[in-house]
Amino acid sequence: MLCNECGKNEANVHVTHIINGKKTENHLCEECAKKNQSIFNTNFSMENLFSAMLNSAFNTKTYLPTKGCSNCGMTYDQFRNIGKFGCSHCIDTFKQRLMPVVKSIQGYDNHKGKIPKRAGGKYRVQMEIKRLKTELRNAVEREEYELAAKLRDEIHDLERNQGGE
Amino acid sequence: MESNIVITSRVRLARNLINYKFPVNMSPDEWSKVISEVDQALNKENKNYRLTYMRELSDVQKNSLIENHLISPALAEKKDSGAFLLSPDEKVSIMINEEDHIRIQTLGEGMALKECWNLSNKVDDILEESVDYAFDKELGYVTSCPTNIGTGMRASVMLHLPALSITNQIDKFLYGVSQLGVAVRGVYGEGTKSIGHLYQISNQGTLGASEETLIEKITQISMQIVEKENRTREHLKKNNYDELEDDFYRAYGLLTNARKMTSNEAMKLLSLVKLGSEMGITPMVKGKDIYNLMVKIQPNNISNIVGRELPKNDRNKMRAEIIRNELLNK
Repeated sequence: MLCNECGKNEANVHVTHIINGKKTENHLCEECAKKNQSIFNTNFSMENLFSAMLNSAFNTKTYLPTKGCSNCGMTYDQFRNIGKFGCSHCIDTFKQRLMPVVKSIQGYDNHKGKIPKRAGGKYRVQMEIKRLKTELRNAVEREEYELAAKLRDEIHDLERNQGGE
Repeated sequence: MESNIVITSRVRLARNLINYKFPVNMSPDEWSKVISEVDQALNKENKNYRLTYMRELSDVQKNSLIENHLISPALAEKKDSGAFLLSPDEKVSIMINEEDHIRIQTLGEGMALKECWNLSNKVDDILEESVDYAFDKELGYVTSCPTNIGTGMRASVMLHLPALSITNQIDKFLYGVSQLGVAVRGVYGEGTKSIGHLYQISNQGTLGASEETLIEKITQISMQIVEKENRTREHLKKNNYDELEDDFYRAYGLLTNARKMTSNEAMKLLSLVKLGSEMGITPMVKGKDIYNLMVKIQPNNISNIVGRELPKNDRNKMRAEIIRNELLNK
């Protein structure tokens, strides 16, 4: 098949667009395809998808306009359009509105991964204690009392240190 | 055969600093402050990581770094603000002021996601000793885009799947895989259509599971794909030996004789020769060498050899020459 555009070269790029149920086909050679980059530009990416979801989720009038981020000045409308935070404070500013969308995109709304040593601070210790307590329960169930005793001491140490802070 | 199918592993962590606005909002003053903070945090003990600014590089150099998977296309676009740090062995690269302030990326050969995560994790800890990360108790590491929030981690493997591709099973199979919460894309070429039968699979979600869990999931799914690819290879060898042998030798004949070759053609043929040698049908080349050759013959990597952008015709001639030399001197 020859290229639709120049009619000279073999067409090796085939583009099908379906817009509102109407199908159009385009067969181009490599050269002409390069010149016509815009036909590929469907702009589909996770970010665009995310921003589209933000838009659809909050276009209802349920939410009153709120003020923007006090640190960087980004407004919710701006955030909604670009789908990116302006600074680390934006997450607190927009959290309430953001949570349902995060949950629908990620499937979860709670972090279960790494907690940084410094930025995680006390929270990291709390989570560590929680983790050790689960391990302790499991150890007791398996009747591994030596391990359980070790875990109990670790928990005590952490709790004592935490209280001292 | 596993390591020939799983070509590389990669783990990327996205991190941001609490004291600076995020890249969409940053001022030129903040660009350089973030770069120097990260540089100092990492190089405070040993000066091993090399810092390179995007503004120092030509387009050919930037694209060549992309073709070698050392930086992302998004970083190359940050002409004024972007920079990256590279470890001497080129296994760790830290992109600065890309979509996030920091993106730690580690690369490994074959199935090495655990090793990559351990290394990324270590580099992450070293950085956090000196810089203040943005972290939220509920949502984890705060990233520019909420699609990366939580662990900020993207773990991916690059797979060479020629048998699944030539038997036309790949689309259906990868669609099924994508239903399991992993993203699939072609490595070279657009969308899921891949040139050279190279595919990348990675975790879709970044929140709600630990890094180890996410890595285990990608590993398990990859191993299933590898098994399926291997079974298809065995099936082909048993039922289509004559056709395959002919295809492989034809590909080898073209690669070792052609005087001009586009990267698309080269990728397709090299993929066949790689498959042939792994199946023991054309035993003249090693799988790993072929993958390296596939990277070497990308347009900007060829231009980079002469240090300037080559016209297409010259590039195609040079590509054919590189391939002939590489294949015939083994």
